Order: sequence, then C-alpha cells, then structure tokens
Amino acid sequence: MLVQQVNPLLILLLAALIMLSLMALMPWLFSLSRSRSKAVREEVVELVGCPKCGHEYSRKYERGSYVGKEVGACPRGDGPLVVKAIYVERHEGPE
Amino acid sequence: MNGGSEVVSYLIVLLFLTSLLMNFTDIPQRIQLQRFSSFVRRKLYVLEEMESDARRKAVAYLSAAGIREASKVLDGFVDNFFLIRPVEMEPTDIIKRLRHLIRTRESSVRDYVRRVLGTAERSVQYSVETVLEVVSVLRLLNKLVRHYLELGLKHNNWILVMQLAIQMPEILEIAKAYANSVDAFTSGMPIGDGAGPLVAKMLVGWGEPRREIVEGTDLYEAEVEGRKVYAIKASGPGSNVGWPGEALEKLVGELGGAVDRIITVDAALKLESEETGEVAYGTGAAIGDLGPEKIAIERVAGNYSIPLDAVVVKMSEAEALGPLTKKIHEGVVKAYEVVRRTIVEKVREGGTVIVVGVGNTVGIR
Ligand SMILES: [Zn+2]
Repeated sequence: MLVQQVNPLLILLLAALIMLSLMALMPWLFSLSRSRSKAVREEVVELVGCPKCGHEYSRKYERGSYVGKEVGACPRGDGPLVVKAIYVERHEGPE
Repeated sequence: MNGGSEVVSYLIVLLFLTSLLMNFTDIPQRIQLQRFSSFVRRKLYVLEEMESDARRKAVAYLSAAGIREASKVLDGFVDNFFLIRPVEMEPTDIIKRLRHLIRTRESSVRDYVRRVLGTAERSVQYSVETVLEVVSVLRLLNKLVRHYLELGLKHNNWILVMQLAIQMPEILEIAKAYANSVDAFTSGMPIGDGAGPLVAKMLVGWGEPRREIVEGTDLYEAEVEGRKVYAIKASGPGSNVGWPGEALEKLVGELGGAVDRIITVDAALKLESEETGEVAYGTGAAIGDLGPEKIAIERVAGNYSIPLDAVVVKMSEAEALGPLTKKIHEGVVKAYEVVRRTIVEKVREGGTVIVVGVGNTVGIR
C-alpha cells in the first residue's frame, strides 16, 4: 500500500523544508499585507491675520510669500494684514 | 529496499555534509557577506538616486537665481569647504579657535557664492549657500557608505559590511530628510527648525526688526503686559541661522547686564515615543550649534547672573528639515504661550527680558 511505502523520516524532512521556505518568504508576505497605505493629500496653507484685532483666515500658499509679509489692510481698518504662519496640512483619504 | 528509504538515506548524508560545511568552515560568513553587500548596494542606488535628484533640483534653483554653469558651481562646492576640528587635547581657548574656524569657513563660502552670484538679494544668497551645503551633505553620506562597503569587501570584513547593512535604514532616513529639505529651501517655505524664530516673531506681533544687531541677526523690541521684551532671531526670509550667541552677548553688554531673564526657544529632536509638536521647558541654552554660540549664551547669563530658560518644540530630524507641518505649528503656538506665561509670571512688571528664537529662519522675515 502507498501509506506503508512512505517513510516517516521523509515526511519529517519535507515538513522541515516547507517550514524553512515559509520562513524565508515571511518578510515578503508581511510587506504584501502592509503595502496598502492610505492616500494622503498635502496642502500648503498660509495663515493671514491682523496682529491688532485678531481677525484671521487661512488661504492657499502663494510662492514667494513669507511670514511677516504685509498682504493688504485689515477690513476693520486698524492696520495691515500680515502672513502669520505657513504650514503643510495633511488630509487623509481620496482626493 | 523500497525507493522511499533510499531517498531518506541520501538526504541524511546530504544533511550531515551540509551541517559540516556550515559549522566548520566560513562559507556561511561568505554567503552572509554576499547577501549583506548586495543589500547595501541596493540601498546605495537609492542614495545615489536621492543625491542626483537633489543635484538636479539644486542646479535648476541656481540657474533660476541667475548663476551661469550651475553644475560647475555645484561641483566646485561639494567636495570642498570642509572644516577641520581644532585640537581637543589642549582645551585652552578651544572655543575661540573653533569660533574663528567656523567664521572663516562661513566667509569663504560666502565669498564663493558671491563671486558666482554677483549682486543678488541677501536672502537669495543665504538660500543658495544652504542648497549647496545640503547637496554636499548627501555627497558625503554617499561617499562614506561606499567607502565602508568597499573597505569591507576588500578585506573580507563581513562584520563591517554587516554593521553597515544594519545601519543602512537609519542612514537612508537621514539622507531622505536632507533630500526633502532641498524643496523647502528652494521654494522658500518655513521648515520645522523655524519653530524658534516663529515664536520670536509671534512675540513681537509680526513687526519689523528694530535693527540688525550683528551680521544676519535681527533685534526686535516689544512690550508684553508691562515687561520690556527684546527678541533676537536670524534675519529672514532667506535660509539663515544667524549668530544668536554673539547677538545676545552684544545686547546684554549694551544694556549693562540689566536683564531679568533670558529665554531661548528652539526645535529639539524628539524621542521615538514622543509626539511631534510637544512642548517642554527647562533650564539652559536651547541651541544645537557646534559650541561657540551656545557657550556665548551660557557665559553671558553666568557672568551677569541672569536666569536662563529653555523652551523646546519636539520633532524628528526629517520634520526639522522638512516643511513646517500643522502639528509643529500647533507646537509653536503652545511654545509661544509658555514663553508668554514665563514672562508674566517670572519677570517683574517694568522688567526686561530677552527671548532668543534659535533656528533656521527660511520663509520667516
Ligand atoms: Zn484688524
């Protein structure tokens, strides 16, 4: 019979071989399951505001802009509007 | 005899021989040397890619700034302008020597850039200098990795190659931080390291500087709830860190030591377990230069017995060199509140306080 012909040692060796190849493939399998990352959208914004009254809003960053640049007058009429900060905002998820 | 047991006996002999080879020869080490060196080589391609990418961006930036033969200018810079550390075995006046060397190097870099750039705005000149420096850091990293790999292969030093392979991810992270910083420096956006200057700028209500106290370093004056506030930061909006130590020395001298408190604000490297944008305060000079500026701050505070505070915004190295993120900006606002609270709580009304915003002021006037 077929069952009687197969040596238990052979089975053991085959099992060891399969185990070894699985272990060698482990990092690759892990990287496959991890590669699906979320899409991240980055947007550069500048915070524009009035240092006197605290009027403030954010808008898209324009090239050449810098913190401390005057960008017009405060609508409440008490001085100039300045760029208060420039930073990158990250939004997760699809566009 | 059936076929199965014959195969088994072959396999057992094979196993025995293999185990002999693996345990009593250095074949496994050779195999490992091959594996690790091919790993390092693969990563070296990535490093080279980063360098040539940064180089491309730098050349485009230099050309846009009006430099002719930009790649030649870049090549003339990257392998030169090294700094030899002064002798440390004899520490007498070591800071004076180091400071002298740093200034000399700085001025020869400045001369080199000025010669090719002609009469450009100073902020452009500062940014060109920084872009050149960043490319030369990438070049150096690349050369060092290649050096250790070739040395290890030459002498069959598998431990050296293995060490290099294990360190590669960290090296790549540093290289990536530098490669990404080229974008920030060429576009003129603030970077994470600008946290200190940004806090100083907030404290003076985004106003204009009173004067340039030392080269490339501005002095601001403001009032916070009845306390006189002097703020020191590098002159922007070009990429520049200024000389905060020398500026503080000069200012305290001018005021005759009549200062109630000095507060230094800087970006600090976070530990892996810490969150980006965390703010912490303590005592001492928050500044990460080679030494001369830091010791100048400590000396002037010590000589006049002025309490010296430090406020830091935590971030990783990549974040410090990359564009300022929202998280770090939130940290900056928190640091501003800490500085303000310190001034109100620890400086008497009518007193004087100096706030030093340490860091690169690119994108911040
Ligand atoms: Zn207003």
